[in-house]
Amino acid sequence: MALVVGVDIGNSTTEACVAEIGENEPRYLASALAPTSGVKGTADNVPGVVKVVQEALSAAGRAQDELSAVLVNEATPVISGLAMETITETIITESTMIGHNPDTPGGAGLGVGTTVAFGALGDCEPGAKVICVVGTGVDFEDAAAGINAAAERGVEVTGAVVHADDATLIANRLRTPIPVVDEVTLVERVPLGMRAAVEVAEPGRTIRTLSNSYGIATLFELDPEQTRMIAPVARALVGNRSAVVVRTPAGDIADRRIPAGTLTLIGEHSRLSVGMDAGAEEIMATLRRVRPLEDATGEAGTHVGGMLATVRDTMAELAGSGDVRIQDVLAVDTFVPQKVTGALAGEFALESAVALAAMVRTSRGPMEALAAQLAAALDVEVRVGGVEADMAVLGALTTPGTDRPVAILDLGGGSTDAALATSDGVVRSVHLAGAGDLVTKLIDSELGLDDRELAEDIKKFPLAKAESFFHVRMEDGTARFFEKPLPTETFARVVVLGDAGMRPVPTRHSLDKIRQVRRSAKHKVFVVNAVRALEQVAPGGNLRQIGFVVVLGGSALDFEIPDLIAEAVADAGIVCGTGNVRGVEGPRNAVATGLVEALRCP
Amino acid sequence: MADTSVGTRRTLQLQERGEAGPGTRADEVVIGISPAFGDFFTKTIVDIPHAEVLRELLAGIEEQGVQSRVIRYRGGSDLAVIAHAAAKLSGSGIGIGVLSRGTTMIHQKDLVRLSNLELFPQAPLMDLETFRKVGRNAARYAKGESPEPVPARNDFMARPRWQAKAALLHIKETEFVQQGAAPVELDVRIQLADAG
Repeated sequence: MALVVGVDIGNSTTEACVAEIGENEPRYLASALAPTSGVKGTADNVPGVVKVVQEALSAAGRAQDELSAVLVNEATPVISGLAMETITETIITESTMIGHNPDTPGGAGLGVGTTVAFGALGDCEPGAKVICVVGTGVDFEDAAAGINAAAERGVEVTGAVVHADDATLIANRLRTPIPVVDEVTLVERVPLGMRAAVEVAEPGRTIRTLSNSYGIATLFELDPEQTRMIAPVARALVGNRSAVVVRTPAGDIADRRIPAGTLTLIGEHSRLSVGMDAGAEEIMATLRRVRPLEDATGEAGTHVGGMLATVRDTMAELAGSGDVRIQDVLAVDTFVPQKVTGALAGEFALESAVALAAMVRTSRGPMEALAAQLAAALDVEVRVGGVEADMAVLGALTTPGTDRPVAILDLGGGSTDAALATSDGVVRSVHLAGAGDLVTKLIDSELGLDDRELAEDIKKFPLAKAESFFHVRMEDGTARFFEKPLPTETFARVVVLGDAGMRPVPTRHSLDKIRQVRRSAKHKVFVVNAVRALEQVAPGGNLRQIGFVVVLGGSALDFEIPDLIAEAVADAGIVCGTGNVRGVEGPRNAVATGLVEALRCP
Repeated sequence: MADTSVGTRRTLQLQERGEAGPGTRADEVVIGISPAFGDFFTKTIVDIPHAEVLRELLAGIEEQGVQSRVIRYRGGSDLAVIAHAAAKLSGSGIGIGVLSRGTTMIHQKDLVRLSNLELFPQAPLMDLETFRKVGRNAARYAKGESPEPVPARNDFMARPRWQAKAALLHIKETEFVQQGAAPVELDVRIQLADAG
């Protein structure tokens, strides 16, 4: 009997299992995991490996001198880089629109008239239709009294635009209710003496007239050409509860595409360029046309160029050679909340952006150096062997209920790997850019959090809303009660139900919105990559040829990613589920187990 | 410093209407004022009239479409006690406590008394804009929304500069405490001074 330890050095965790090898089946004694020290596949990994080997041995109750060999996988460094590029910009010229959504507009309905400053309301002729513009420093009682007095004289005040958060207060004090839009921070820039329309919808509804091009055309008597010009205004107002549109001679709102640099994809047979502003779908379609990818470059002086250069430099440093090639990219469409240029009320618009993950992989990293240092540190024979994908397949096959042909999906932090083992033992593998880290980045930017740690928590854990100090409403609608009052800072907030307790999410996004962003980010990265990876390893690109799919890796522990993937591949008649290595380890420890298994079946 | 010039125009009349009972509407916020608020005292530590303080708190609540009631807490001059009493009488469980010198707190009925949802401990930094925001946030809590807390201002010189005055005001306020007296419901009338 010989005592061996299989060690898998991963991008973020190092895993080990202790086993006794004899004539029969290997007998597994214990396993352990620890964070990887340094970049995967470099000599920096030694302290992490030593730690995990010692932990596994002590868990098995064995001494280090009983050990006959340490088996290490051929850890090829995989480095991924992320970049994000905003590709659209909304610009308002000459105060055409106030499309912002104050929380509490006042009144309801639609008012059309000429804009008049509050101070000049007294000079209006009876019978005139006006929109009152209430500037800074006017008290709500005075504003209401002024509008009431004007109305008494026969001036038809049909709507109001207010600087402070006073809309309901003013509307409550008017004899004749009118729509009031408030919190217009730059109210002094609203042009006076122009025809304007103010619309406020009932609570829980959205405006109907100003979000409709023909509605605006009817109000302002526009000709077809002018209606064409006004169409973007209407589009920008869709979904708002309140809006103001002022008709100015040259007012316009533009939805501009920002030149964002081009990405050149170099395949074995062809080379194609695609603009980042074409969007993720176009980039991925171009990638499919040039596949297999040999390298990718970004236009110099642009974000995409800078990002690819950084990945390349880091990699060249590690590999000790200047020749580093990018083997895969994943582009994802996303949104970034950005301040609207020229806006009057500090409006935000969700601008389109493209996030890009790139990955490089060398054929063989400095593994010899790692093995030699490890042997010295542990005073034991170190065998480097086995392609990672082969080992992962062997480990995955210890999951009860699996058989060849089996495909594995290894969902990590930086890359998504897949391998397929056919019935005759041939293994095909592929490494794709984009995994957990990209999901975190998408959540962070789409919710405008600017807090990676919080985004990471949102990714990993379910949400709830603290409805009182003694109960929370979970995201699936069920209530959960507590004996002791919850912490004060969680009251009325959306919280993440993490391992370390509840963590409030300090934004005004609703639970539904955060959940939807989280799920769509996972879908855009993991589901897209899973399908892409399986297509590349499946015989003839046909998913139906794969019988079993075993999901492995840290992200397989996620509470919803395996389900999302299973749902996506269910149509192809695939049995898909989270791995359970050796029937006990869950999706962890596959490669380490595979290394030991490989000793048995060379 | 807060602009008090606009504030001198309004008067505050508080009419007692008997013992304050628990509210039944889920859409109300109860404001609890201290024993001498708008009575012996008429302005805060930085001379903001109580009429304006109460008006802004009420306006902040009204703007959110939420109802309000005002009670006077007579049995003590401790802010947490006043705010918690207001919260317990509030149909929504949300109450605001405010002392004569301007210190303010948002409380919730299920919290322990010495805890709070939002506390504004430095009375000299309380201006009308902040009072409006306090009213607004309390109303949002009552509606079950998740407001971002009103930014707490902090001036490290406020303590040495105002502590003596604050202490005197507190002692004076405490003289108006009627031990064991129940909170009373108030009718609030805030009017322009020249309108009579």
